[in-house]
Amino acid sequence: MNLKKTNFILVSAVIMATTFSACRGDSKTEEADDIGLVDTSVIGLNQKAETFYQVPSPGEMLSFIKQVGGKSNKNISFLNKVENQKQYTDLKLKALNFGIYSCDLSYCSVFEIGTEALKYFKSLKEIGDQIGVSSAIKPENLKRLQDNIGNSDSLAIITDELYFSSFETLEGSKQGPTLSLVVAGGWIESLFIVTSLAKYDTKSVIVERVCDQKYTLDNLVEFLRKYKADESTAAVLVKFEELQAEFSKIEERDADSLAVKDKTKHFLSGGKNLIATADQYKHLVDKIRILRNSFTLTK
Amino acid sequence: MKKYILTLLGTTCISLFSQTGVCFNYHRSCSVKNSKNDKNWIYDTQSRSGLFNQGMTSKIRCVIYKGMDYRINVCCDASLGEKLSYKIFDSKSNELLYDNQIMQNAPTFEFQSSTTRQLIIELTVPQGTAEKEKHKPIDAACVGLLIEHKVTEKQGF
Repeated sequence: MNLKKTNFILVSAVIMATTFSACRGDSKTEEADDIGLVDTSVIGLNQKAETFYQVPSPGEMLSFIKQVGGKSNKNISFLNKVENQKQYTDLKLKALNFGIYSCDLSYCSVFEIGTEALKYFKSLKEIGDQIGVSSAIKPENLKRLQDNIGNSDSLAIITDELYFSSFETLEGSKQGPTLSLVVAGGWIESLFIVTSLAKYDTKSVIVERVCDQKYTLDNLVEFLRKYKADESTAAVLVKFEELQAEFSKIEERDADSLAVKDKTKHFLSGGKNLIATADQYKHLVDKIRILRNSFTLTK
Repeated sequence: MKKYILTLLGTTCISLFSQTGVCFNYHRSCSVKNSKNDKNWIYDTQSRSGLFNQGMTSKIRCVIYKGMDYRINVCCDASLGEKLSYKIFDSKSNELLYDNQIMQNAPTFEFQSSTTRQLIIELTVPQGTAEKEKHKPIDAACVGLLIEHKVTEKQGF
């Protein structure tokens, strides 16, 4: 009995010591030294600190398209039909299509297609209940949507809030793999919609924004890698790495040095512009369509 | 014996998880007050919160787009002090683009970029800030990094 007690105390001490060390962070002093907090001339990127990879919401892309591409678009032929929802029986497809339907709901809201928005909300609610975000999608959200049917600005805000609260619910409840699939689904749908709308033109800001998604995809791939121990996430990661290879064919050109027009805010100069040829753009669009349709189980 | 160890491990894990989740959504409290045209700024989903010790550094890699204005604002629990440090690097070249220590640790930074690019925002809670400010030093508290954006307004006719 005494031996058992001694063992218990020893094991407890080891666990507590390990935990305490993890909580306080042994790297605390190392990191502070590395970045030269006192001597500001010592400047450098701290390689040891953990990096988090952020992906903008699909609604941001759609709002941009509306601003630059016109407000009267009512085409919904390329959205994922709500009737397809019944095909999504496993968690992987449910999570991916939760992201896809979130994006479709944003599209209907941004482009003032209110009646369709209500249909997408209902599908989103049903899938959301099945993947653990029911607390983020409440009946009062539907009432708000209904009350704002004719007001695209309000609809866009409400649908963005739904996306954010779903994201935060999954992140807060430590459902990382599910969250990674939701983000992947939302991102690919936003690109699919934009490439369905925009034809290739060397001067098109929409084509430019599509090419710029190379950087967002880099972040998304890193985000997926974080959860690659999960079988479903690992399978999706492979597909996105293939798409990444397609994006990497786009030429990078040093940006021209521009005159700073507005002296009231800081201007970050330098960087690269991404310039795709018509052929590269076509291959990219094809790859995006095939990948997206493999998630929605459509042709 | 096994039961004791499992109970202890369980308690430890629960305690760690609740500690990391405690700052969930904290960045929402970092809004910039009393600034002009506040309603034009749109919340950016690349914002983030986390639990920091004094002296701890963490990084996010985010994407900023050409043709947009961005505003970063950092905030933390008063017990960590008020002077958070952050630096912005170009993620490809590692070039330092901004260091808020040059601006006396100003929490807010507004900028635009000539190109779409990946940035690394490296945020540090300075060691011993709280002691200097005569707050009681603590092990950890919440830090928020709020990012907002808006379309750059055209200038001229």
